[in-house]
Amino acid sequence: MFALRRWWEKHALKAGLAGLAVGAAWLMHQANGAIVYETYQFLTRPLQPGLPTDEQIENAYVLELQERVVELENQNQRLRELVNYAEQQTRPSTMAAVIGRSADHWWQQVLLNRGSRDQIGEGDIVTGPGGLVGRVLAVTSNSARVLLISDPTSQIGAKVSRSRSMGVVRGQSSSQVTMEFFDKVPDVKPGDVIVTSSYSQLFPPDIPIGRVASIDLGKSPAPAAVIQLSAPLNILEWATVHPFTPKLDVNAPPANILKDDAEDSQ
Amino acid sequence: MAYSTRSRRSAPRKHLWNWGITLGSVAFCLLILPTRLPGMELLGVSPNWLLIWVVAWSVSRTVFESAIAGLVLGLLQDSLTASYPTHALGLMITGILTARLQQRHYLQGDIISIALIVFGMAIVAETAMALQFTVQSLFLPNSLYASLSQIWVYHQKVALSSAILSSLWAPALYYPLKHWWERYRPSNKP
Repeated sequence: MFALRRWWEKHALKAGLAGLAVGAAWLMHQANGAIVYETYQFLTRPLQPGLPTDEQIENAYVLELQERVVELENQNQRLRELVNYAEQQTRPSTMAAVIGRSADHWWQQVLLNRGSRDQIGEGDIVTGPGGLVGRVLAVTSNSARVLLISDPTSQIGAKVSRSRSMGVVRGQSSSQVTMEFFDKVPDVKPGDVIVTSSYSQLFPPDIPIGRVASIDLGKSPAPAAVIQLSAPLNILEWATVHPFTPKLDVNAPPANILKDDAEDSQ
Repeated sequence: MAYSTRSRRSAPRKHLWNWGITLGSVAFCLLILPTRLPGMELLGVSPNWLLIWVVAWSVSRTVFESAIAGLVLGLLQDSLTASYPTHALGLMITGILTARLQQRHYLQGDIISIALIVFGMAIVAETAMALQFTVQSLFLPNSLYASLSQIWVYHQKVALSSAILSSLWAPALYYPLKHWWERYRPSNKP
């Protein structure tokens, strides 16, 4: 008994600490390590690529939609083959990685790692995951410089996909762009999808641009809407370059300009 | 430029090295412009490396040499983006102002004054760009920007982020260059 008491007097602190540690570990075990994970999550927050759950669900939904689009495109291809549709594209689309950004702050540009050696030319259209990204401004043999649609100098003829209201989309140096409508009272509401119109000279029709975030109908000289771009331009890593020849010859008869897109513009 | 003949201890190889380092540093600045490394980006804006280079160059040189350097580097940057508005204007003003400040002995070569001067010059250079956009928007038929307010709101954002980042990164470029130029051109003016 005496020996036990002496031992206790000698090692009380140690025993207490050990007990505390074991107790804490037990609590932690019971809580499935919540504190550790919480702390870890808090400390590594700056390093994490943010992707909340609703975004993950949205991604899954987007994936589903993409798969449907692929299916529809395939069907469309079959049907076109059946009616002997003449393929207009001669050059293939090219995937390219984004290797750089604009060399100064006033231009919204990206640099791609493919150039004229991969048959990319000036005026080609660049799309990314989500939709339209921009168009090729200049090419070297192994790189291409792309003017993003977020650049204030970039103007695109666009339409509301649902109601076919026409307008012009202008960049704002951010992930949102503004769209000015031609009509005084355009048929548009938040959430509407905006695509390029067939009147656009620099872009082919029906490429998705983004969704309407807000509308200012009272703005002069024309009603305007703020469009949230669907392509994440600031984190873009890969892009697809589609061959395209700008319709700069505006004096050509309309039938030649519109080609087979006439049904879209109605 | 003219200084290469003035150097007393001029061994041809040394000059070759000097030129190599000078041009190499410019090439390095140009190559680093399109990158957006983590920690070098604020609101999508990266440090203005060419501006830092021009300040480093102008701190120990004449007004004329500084203006030429600003012009050359400005044109090089134009080649990477677009010819109008030109960056040469802003960088020339930067070079000239820095050289003038140095001549009047307002500047010591320490870290604080270099950071301050880069801060101020970054704002000056971005203002020169914004002014060119404004002139174009006021007097030329097809303006790049829709409205004046758009230009100046964007100018505020760009000038501030560029100034902060450039002044923070200035010593990284300034000290190696200064060290090199002092070592290989001991006979040069103050």
